[in-house]
Amino acid sequence: MFTPLAPGRAAPGLARIPLFAVARTLVERYEDDLYLVKGPAAWTAVAALLIGLAALPFLLPRLGMGYLLFIAVLASANVIVAVGLNLLVGYAGLISLGHAGFVAIGAYASGLLAARLEVPWPAAWLGAAAISAAFGFLVGLPALRLTGPYLTIATLGFGIAVYQVLTNWTELSGGRGGLSVPALGLGVGGMSAIQQLALVAITAAVALCWIAYNLARSHIGRALAAIRDSDIAAEVTGVSLTWYKTLAFAISAAYAGVAGAIIAQALRHLEPQAFTFLESITYFAMIVVGGLGTVTGGIIGALLLTLIPHYLSGIKQWLPIAYGAVIIAMMLFEPQGLYGRWLRIRRYFKAWPL
Amino acid sequence: MRTVARIALAAVVVAALGAAAQGQPAERGVSATEIVVGTTMPLSGPAAFWGVPISGAMEAWFRHLNDQGGINGRRLRLVAKDDGYLPPRAVANTRELVERDGVFALVSSLGTANVFAARDYVIESQTIWITPLGGTDIWAGFRQRKYLFVTYPSYIEEGIYLTTYAAANLRARNIAVFYQNDLYGQQGLLGVKRGVDRARGTRLVAQVSYEVTDAEVSAQAQKMRESGADTVILYATPRHGALIVREMARLGFRPTLLSSFTLADPAMFALAGEAWNNVYLTAYFPLPGTGDARVDATLATLSRINPALARNPFNAIAGVGFVEPFLEGLRRAGRDLTKDRLVSAMETLRNWDGEVMRGVTFGPDRRQGTNRIFMIKSEAGRYTKLTDWYTYPTRF
Amino acid sequence: MIQFGQYVVGGLATGSLYALVALGIVLLYRSSRVLNFAHGDIATLATFVAFTLLGRAVPFAAAVAAGLLAAAALGAAFFFFVLRPAREASLLGKIVITLGLALVLSGVMLVTWGADTQVFPFPLSDTRVYRLGGVVVSEMSVGTIGAGMALMGLMYGLVQRTTLGLAMRAVAQDATAAQALGIPARRIYALTWGLASALGGAAGVLLAPVVYLDPYMMLDPFLKGFAAAVLGGIDSLPGAVVGGFILGIAENVFAGYVSFKFKTTLAFAIIVLVLTVRPEGLLGREYRRRV
Repeated sequence: MFTPLAPGRAAPGLARIPLFAVARTLVERYEDDLYLVKGPAAWTAVAALLIGLAALPFLLPRLGMGYLLFIAVLASANVIVAVGLNLLVGYAGLISLGHAGFVAIGAYASGLLAARLEVPWPAAWLGAAAISAAFGFLVGLPALRLTGPYLTIATLGFGIAVYQVLTNWTELSGGRGGLSVPALGLGVGGMSAIQQLALVAITAAVALCWIAYNLARSHIGRALAAIRDSDIAAEVTGVSLTWYKTLAFAISAAYAGVAGAIIAQALRHLEPQAFTFLESITYFAMIVVGGLGTVTGGIIGALLLTLIPHYLSGIKQWLPIAYGAVIIAMMLFEPQGLYGRWLRIRRYFKAWPL
Repeated sequence: MRTVARIALAAVVVAALGAAAQGQPAERGVSATEIVVGTTMPLSGPAAFWGVPISGAMEAWFRHLNDQGGINGRRLRLVAKDDGYLPPRAVANTRELVERDGVFALVSSLGTANVFAARDYVIESQTIWITPLGGTDIWAGFRQRKYLFVTYPSYIEEGIYLTTYAAANLRARNIAVFYQNDLYGQQGLLGVKRGVDRARGTRLVAQVSYEVTDAEVSAQAQKMRESGADTVILYATPRHGALIVREMARLGFRPTLLSSFTLADPAMFALAGEAWNNVYLTAYFPLPGTGDARVDATLATLSRINPALARNPFNAIAGVGFVEPFLEGLRRAGRDLTKDRLVSAMETLRNWDGEVMRGVTFGPDRRQGTNRIFMIKSEAGRYTKLTDWYTYPTRF
Repeated sequence: MIQFGQYVVGGLATGSLYALVALGIVLLYRSSRVLNFAHGDIATLATFVAFTLLGRAVPFAAAVAAGLLAAAALGAAFFFFVLRPAREASLLGKIVITLGLALVLSGVMLVTWGADTQVFPFPLSDTRVYRLGGVVVSEMSVGTIGAGMALMGLMYGLVQRTTLGLAMRAVAQDATAAQALGIPARRIYALTWGLASALGGAAGVLLAPVVYLDPYMMLDPFLKGFAAAVLGGIDSLPGAVVGGFILGIAENVFAGYVSFKFKTTLAFAIIVLVLTVRPEGLLGREYRRRV
């Protein structure tokens, strides 16, 4: 049941479409075709996007929208989780309803490394990714035998187990009393704490998305897609199921771990309540709404499902109705995820006068 | 007619602009005509049973005051946002309330996790923070609390009182605790442990926890029965409190029951029925329907403005209690309202009685507005007052 | 021994509730492979409908029947007006649509009935008890255990012994082929949605007097019911009941003798262990597949 079909199944296809409709140069060699960004126009667009993102932490407070910086941090964290989860669900066809567990592990690992061992934050974040990846590898082991709802329940149970351990192993986590996390410092003057965090979080999100784009069109991405489409066929053609399935879980968990480290910084005080089953479901909804099996889909979904509840928070108890209706509407409007719509709009403009 | 209306409208706009230009906004969230107060609460999700009546009561109480002309000529406006009990959303809402909606003060914020997560920001932004609901004892030893005012009892002190009271008056020897496995229940348990240390001849024979998501608690009831406890102390939500007492009754296990004030809710009689008889509880304000005229009048006012609040009198009244001292502070600060004037005005509250809260005291070194509770008992579908105020030492 | 028996009896009562929830999940999964995250919310809504009618002095049986009908109508309508138009969506897409429905329904209940905990009146008493050699069992528990068994028997008979059941199984196996044979597949799907939702409603009505009624009362029972369904084998109706009882008893015994705090963790650990040995669940048959 859980074999997702999505647009852009051939992962490298992403790279082939330039960002803007320009006269395409002839592709002469295979290597040319593999470039992620092709042509001067595309490069300009990418550069503009990156500069825009980098300027965001400085620009928003100037525009009197400083309160959006925290949302930008949350959105970055969610983008990272969603992109990582999409590698697992969208590319490898495995399922996880326990990703809040990996996020929690990343958050607490970074917090404990920084608070107890006084590790500098970049090392603490890397440590968080590594520890989370190790747990991802362990959770990937039952995935070798389980699929569909059976795997769903196993991962769901993992998420709940992490929550209960963090709640009750007070010596480690501080339990429900919580764990204080020291703030990261860039050592740059003139920037507020939230500006620094936003800059770091956005940078991390961009870097991890870039890695994901490249992973997706590497042999790893192709192996994962082959497993998704038919694991038996993939195994026959020499794809090691054991290695790639556990690898997919480990990579996905590492992404969630980094996101956890960002959330730890955003909250500065960790409490298991921030990492419940509800969060796992939300991450899952993000990638489906955005589009399975594409990196961009994960980004779109994460941004939307972060911003929608935030902007609806003022309608109070009507929030779930509006939020649920928007999710249903998006799925009816674009059953394959919003990324498909984005592709169609682009194609329309590319062919425009016609 | 239309022309007249337009001219009138133009006049109002000009007047408003003039007023705005004249009375330079001296303080965020305070205009010539309005004071803006913000809150983020679980208005949806499993904790909504708490957030909806509390924020609804605050809103209704503000409207009641506005109908009487507001405070010092300014109307009160509450901006409430839903956080679904999720810490990241609570922080996002808090930041937006301060930086975009420009509130003068934040009221409450529900749940330990949410309070912890928002704490650094609220303190650093130097925003007035009224009664964050996340365990009073987390503020002990906390230094930067100039703008913080808490009127909520301490669960630890409550636990000590319940235990020592049971030992002295109810012949309690073997005590069991049924508690929610979060900071609320854990602090209650800690209080009971300290109480057991103080009351000679008592011992803690069982500490049985439940998760707030648990649908039923039959194993917990049986565990306490096996422990041979003669007294059971409850730290639970109304739902789990009712479940456990019914389950114990079904097993034929009828110990002396004591409970935290969170269960001093008249709804408990409907939920637990017969099993909610002869339960000893604490309270930190006079409960509705126990003969206190001012509380009953407050509830009548709230119910008139928002009839849904009549279904949840306990939390509605508590909601008024949370904001009341702050409103008195606004009155005392006078027309020329600034943050620091409010703080000075709050610090003049000495043993102040409101409609709900009684004996509220703040001072330059005191931010724990209330340190008193009293004992009540449930009998035949109603609560009766048993003792006078019990006062415990303040810690911040 | 009496103590152990008491924990088992408590577990049986809880397990029968899990089993009731699991039955509806399994019924729907068998036919459409969709995991319905709104199952619990539909059940709660049905209970609220019955609750409101009971408040207006409607007889118990009529009120409950109306609640179940409302759930069935909602389930069928959801299939026709939401899932059908979204037929292009992948299975994961459909699951996310049910998540959206769950959000909408919980919101509607919150706005309509409020978030307060309510007492759901029931003809069987929760406090009147029978004693079997020292082990106490309430009338209500006997009722829910009985109802769980009866509903399972009914569903099993319906699916395995009637023409309708045959049609349902045919559609579940291959909708296109079934349609070619003249089976109205769409109507069968809608019927399955309606039936599963009504089953959920029955679970809600039996659950509410035990755990109290509020818009979120099914959150935990839904998760446990889902887990029980998987433990028993997600395509097996008897499996759902077996899974429910095993889960309920294991949880209660573990809580009584080892720890309350890790009760849920243990439940899932057991499931993962069982699944590593039998990946298709205790009574499931899904894994036989051709290359």
